Amino acid sequence: MVRLNYDVIVVGGGPAGMAAAITCARAGLDTILLERGRFAGAKNLFGGVVYTASVLSLVPDLFSASRLPFERPVTEEGWWILSQDGVVKITHTNATLRESPPRAFTAFRAKFDAWLAKQAQKAGVLVVPKVRVIDLLIKDNFVCGVQTDRTASWDDHRPAQVKAPVVILAEGVNRILSIKAGLVPRDFSPKEVALSVKEVLQLPKGELESRFGLQKDTGLAVELLGEASLGLPGTGFLYTNTSCLSLGVGLFLIDYATHNIKPYALLEHLKRHPVLAPLLAEAETLEYGAHLIPEWGFFGLAKLCGNGVLAVGDAVGLVNPLFREGTNLAIYSGILAGKAAIYAHKKGNFGYHTLRLYEEALKDSYIYQDLRYFRKLKTFLQQNKSFFQTYPYLLNEVLHLYLTAQGRAKQEVFKEICQLIRKQRGVTGLLGDFVRAMKFLKGW
Amino acid sequence: MNILVSIKQVPDTTNIRINPETGTLVREGVPSIVNPYDVHALALASLLKRLYGAHITVITMGPPQAEEALKEAVEFGADRVILLSDRKFAGADTLATSYTLAEAIKYLAQEAPFDLFLFGKQAIDGDTAQVGPGVARRLGVPLITYAVKLEIIDQEKKEVIVHRKTASGVEVLKVTLPVLITCDKEIADPPFSPLPELIKAAQTKPEIFNAQRPIPYKREKLGLKGSPTRVHRVYTPQLKSAGDILFVSEIGVSEAVEKIIAVLKDRGIL
Ligand SMILES: Cc1cc2nc3c(=O)[nH]c(=O)nc-3n(C[C@H](O)[C@H](O)[C@H](O)COP(=O)(O)OP(=O)(O)OC[C@H]3O[C@@H](n4cnc5c(N)ncnc54)[C@H](O)[C@@H]3O)c2cc1C
Repeated sequence: MVRLNYDVIVVGGGPAGMAAAITCARAGLDTILLERGRFAGAKNLFGGVVYTASVLSLVPDLFSASRLPFERPVTEEGWWILSQDGVVKITHTNATLRESPPRAFTAFRAKFDAWLAKQAQKAGVLVVPKVRVIDLLIKDNFVCGVQTDRTASWDDHRPAQVKAPVVILAEGVNRILSIKAGLVPRDFSPKEVALSVKEVLQLPKGELESRFGLQKDTGLAVELLGEASLGLPGTGFLYTNTSCLSLGVGLFLIDYATHNIKPYALLEHLKRHPVLAPLLAEAETLEYGAHLIPEWGFFGLAKLCGNGVLAVGDAVGLVNPLFREGTNLAIYSGILAGKAAIYAHKKGNFGYHTLRLYEEALKDSYIYQDLRYFRKLKTFLQQNKSFFQTYPYLLNEVLHLYLTAQGRAKQEVFKEICQLIRKQRGVTGLLGDFVRAMKFLKGW
Repeated sequence: MNILVSIKQVPDTTNIRINPETGTLVREGVPSIVNPYDVHALALASLLKRLYGAHITVITMGPPQAEEALKEAVEFGADRVILLSDRKFAGADTLATSYTLAEAIKYLAQEAPFDLFLFGKQAIDGDTAQVGPGVARRLGVPLITYAVKLEIIDQEKKEVIVHRKTASGVEVLKVTLPVLITCDKEIADPPFSPLPELIKAAQTKPEIFNAQRPIPYKREKLGLKGSPTRVHRVYTPQLKSAGDILFVSEIGVSEAVEKIIAVLKDRGIL
């Protein structure tokens, strides 16, 4: 007979769910993880840069393993600020960034999540793919299990149920179950999520290294600003993998609608950019995908737990788009939630007041501090359009004037530059932007 | 009924690429699936089990990762799954593969003889359609290829009717078990398995047979050694355009002939 009662149920096999499940199983809890994809990672997509420290906190012997789920170390990072036909590149590298083990890696979800699933199985987690959780079982105000899209048996066509005193929701951005659990008051609005599209591009052999100046053990990860997002709040990204390239771009969902932009057209526009096009010449598209990023931030932050239930990762919006943090926050929150589940089992009490250990631990961590600190980011970006609309282009023009000043009276050039800035943004505009940016950064 | 299904794990060809420099298949990063025709063979076994009761044994030969294919078989209701895995098996062509599989099946049949042997009609990574027939020959059982339908008419007498697709139509054959059938997609639809089967699958650790145990295989008949076939070259065929169509009814015979001759001359053929 197959058992349908466990100590912990984890819904979702992304980094958050895997981290939670691994933590629970290592403490001896009987843990089942349900994932709707054909395998963990099958349906997932990210940029993707993974910060090593987060993975190390889960798999401390990471670098002794023979095969890592990684592509390239990130040894050079920064921004390419695009105008219509030009770019200002600001990137940084130094000896520390080239040290081994590297602090960040590029990766593919299909491999990274599958690798995490292997680690979870090793830890004793029962990872069951191809199962979608469609509802929660709630009894006396306590979540006590889940209902799946699969039937109970060949003859019994009712939805199969799995029971456990703790359910950890790691369902990602589409937080249907978190809403059902009463942790989230409502679904997100188009202002609160970004939609990113991404292509994986294969270059002819050796071209990745030569076009991006890479060696075997170096890698580049840059964010693309300005024309990448057509001057709208959003960013693009270009990350190098072992032999191919991840290129993507995202906007707030609402801006696609307001400006009538098709996501794939946005990416095509980026690929045709005069600076990028030659870098992508003869590239073959291996993969194409799109995914939402939760950007509701602190104000939209859900209740993190309730009676018999905890929510982790993207489901509660733990993402910092400015710093490319999402996967690592998912892992950290998964670990903390796992610890709370262990604590609850020790106490034999699964109520909110016990599980709150997770909420408190998260509030003590930098994740929560950052969420607080950046709580106005979304509004700031949406209200201060000049940071996307004006400055990237202005910066390109100014630098162009400066760098091509030979053969002219320099005073005249500087005057032209000042005029340009005044025309584009004006002194008051400039000052205003400065004050607003400072205000934002100081957390006022 | 005692059913044996033989399956193969193949790269998902919707994602497959050929390395332009070496001419070999790029299998890295390409997710593996159960050969689509084998899925339907499994589906038939699953259906027969639910309708009449059956014991299903599934075997596959492949690298350790082929375990995933067997887990999928368990989702369909397989009772026993066996992975034939050994470096010595690697590089096998259809001859060595049928030998390896047939020996394993003979070994398993010692416990209880099989009534039905199910294979996919062919594997999408090689498209040879030779392994099923090769095994049938070695087991000395009748063979029906390209089956699209199976009806059990008499369980007692073990009589079944099998419809098979041929170039000229459908053949309807009556046969007494045991028989080996290679299945086309129409034979049965994969079921939406219930949760307990999925959990069972996730917990499954297949039995592993290697080149010595439990069957002492003849080394020279295995893998690359036992395979007379040599791959000369693998390449992506050039896409040919559909060509121009001339309608004699519209332009008349002589003009059509003129045009054809002109084209042939143009290409330097005439
Ligand atoms: C384009 C893009 C680029 C990004 N780039 C980066 C980056 O460079 N670095 C970084 O750190 N982060 C990045 N992120 C963010 C990062 O991917 C997420 O923050 C992270 O994956 C969140 O993990 P999670 O486990 O919470 O959710 P997910 O990874 O979304 O996992 C959720 C899982 O749950 C499953 N699931 C959902 N509902 C159900 C259900 N009802 N039943 C069963 N299973 C279910 C899904 O199939 C999925 O596997 C990026 C995101 C996007 C979209």
